[in-house]
Formats: sequence, C-alpha cells, structure tokens
Amino acid sequence: MSTPARRRLMRDFKKLQEDPPAGVSGAPTEDNILIWNAVIFGPHDTPFEDGTFKLTIRFTEDYPNKPPAVRFVSKMFHPNVYADGGICLDILQNRWSPTYDVSAILTSIQSLLDEPNPNSPANSLAAQLYQQNKREYEKKVSAIVEESWMNE
Amino acid sequence: MEKSSTSKSSKPAPKEESLFTIKKWNAVALWSWDVTCDTCAICKLLLVDACMKCQNEIKTEDCVVVWGECNHSFHRCCIASWLNKSNRCPLCQREWIVQRIGR
Repeated sequence: MSTPARRRLMRDFKKLQEDPPAGVSGAPTEDNILIWNAVIFGPHDTPFEDGTFKLTIRFTEDYPNKPPAVRFVSKMFHPNVYADGGICLDILQNRWSPTYDVSAILTSIQSLLDEPNPNSPANSLAAQLYQQNKREYEKKVSAIVEESWMNE
Repeated sequence: MEKSSTSKSSKPAPKEESLFTIKKWNAVALWSWDVTCDTCAICKLLLVDACMKCQNEIKTEDCVVVWGECNHSFHRCCIASWLNKSNRCPLCQREWIVQRIGR
C-alpha cells in the first residue's frame, strides 16, 4: 500500500543512498517501511570516536507532519539520552519541522553526541560528569564505545 | 568591461586618444523562476508537479502552490496539513501568512 508517508520515506531512502551524509547510515526494515534501522558512527576527535551506535526509527502515517520516535539500541552514555535509549532532542519534539528527512534526523543526532545540552538532562550522571569531571565522563563513554562493537 | 581607458595610469598616455574602442557588445541576461525553490520542502516533489498526496489520489489538477509572506512556497495540501499542528513556516519558523496562491 502506498501512502504519502510511505512514499516520502522511499524518497528519504533514495536521497540517503544517492547523497549519503558522512558517518551515518540507515535503511527501512525489509517488511515495514515505517520502521528503520540506522547506524551513527561516533564523530572523529570526540570521546565517541570509533563507536558504531545502532538506532531504530519508528514513523507513523502522519510523517512528515509528526516526528518519528528515535531510540538508541546500542547502549549510550550521554546527557541527553535516557536509559531506555530514548533521545531528548528538541527537533524530535517541539521543534520538529515537516521539512526534515531521515538524513537530517541522523546528522542532528550525530552532532548531538559531542554537543550535549546539559540543561535538559535525560541521564543525570552523564550530565553531572560532563560538567564536573570530564575525565570520568570520557572513561564512561569509552566503555560504551567498546560495547557498541560487540552488540549484534 | 575594462576600465583602463578612463582610469589614470602611471604611464603618460597620449591625450584624446582612447586605448581601445568597443566594437561589439554582447549583453547576457540571466533568468530564474520567480520562486525561492523549485521543490516543496515538505513532500520533496517539484512544485510544478502535484504533491505526493494528490498524485496518490489522482487529483493532480487541484494541487496548487502557496507562497507565505516569508516568501517560502509549498504545495497548498502539504502546508495545510502542517498548519493543523503549527502556524509557523516549516522553513523559517515565522508566522505563516499567505501571500499568494498560484501554480
């Protein structure tokens, strides 16, 4: 069945393949174009470097008028990521715009990794260490970077 | 065009004798569509074509383009369903006020 949301997602997928942004990738699951798997590579020169972080993106038929639900499947240690992998990012909530596409979503999350917003913490320990103890913060991040290679 | 005939040069030039004359002038004009963008930023299809929803429902004749006062343009159907959620332009976040509707 082809609906506007599904056709828009096919376009997003085509754009992602033809013009792939650096360090992110994503594709719809085989049997449901509304559910995507994605990978974000930790950006260079950040504590997240070399991490391969997996995510799921769940769209509804209201896309692009409503944002998808995005969550990390790989374990994450970040001030704006909840323990269940949910992401606190304004453009995925109240600052959503229907002009965003999958490529924009993934690159926004990628840049959030090294530019956390400690004012709206989703992980209070990560927010506290980020502000007060960078060395300990980076140690915790290294641990989840290593873990990201092991998850199936 | 070179301006050397009128600019003062350090070398003494003979008076009342221009260095060159224009024998031929080919004016070149550039044109572009009178829209800021040719693609609808919401459905990502060309504004000259119908939007995704209308192509689906084979109502391509009714699908028109609307310009906001911010000069951003979208298919009317695309912006209409967004305006149920917010009255801001999806591109610049300014309040959406219709400037004109057309094709």
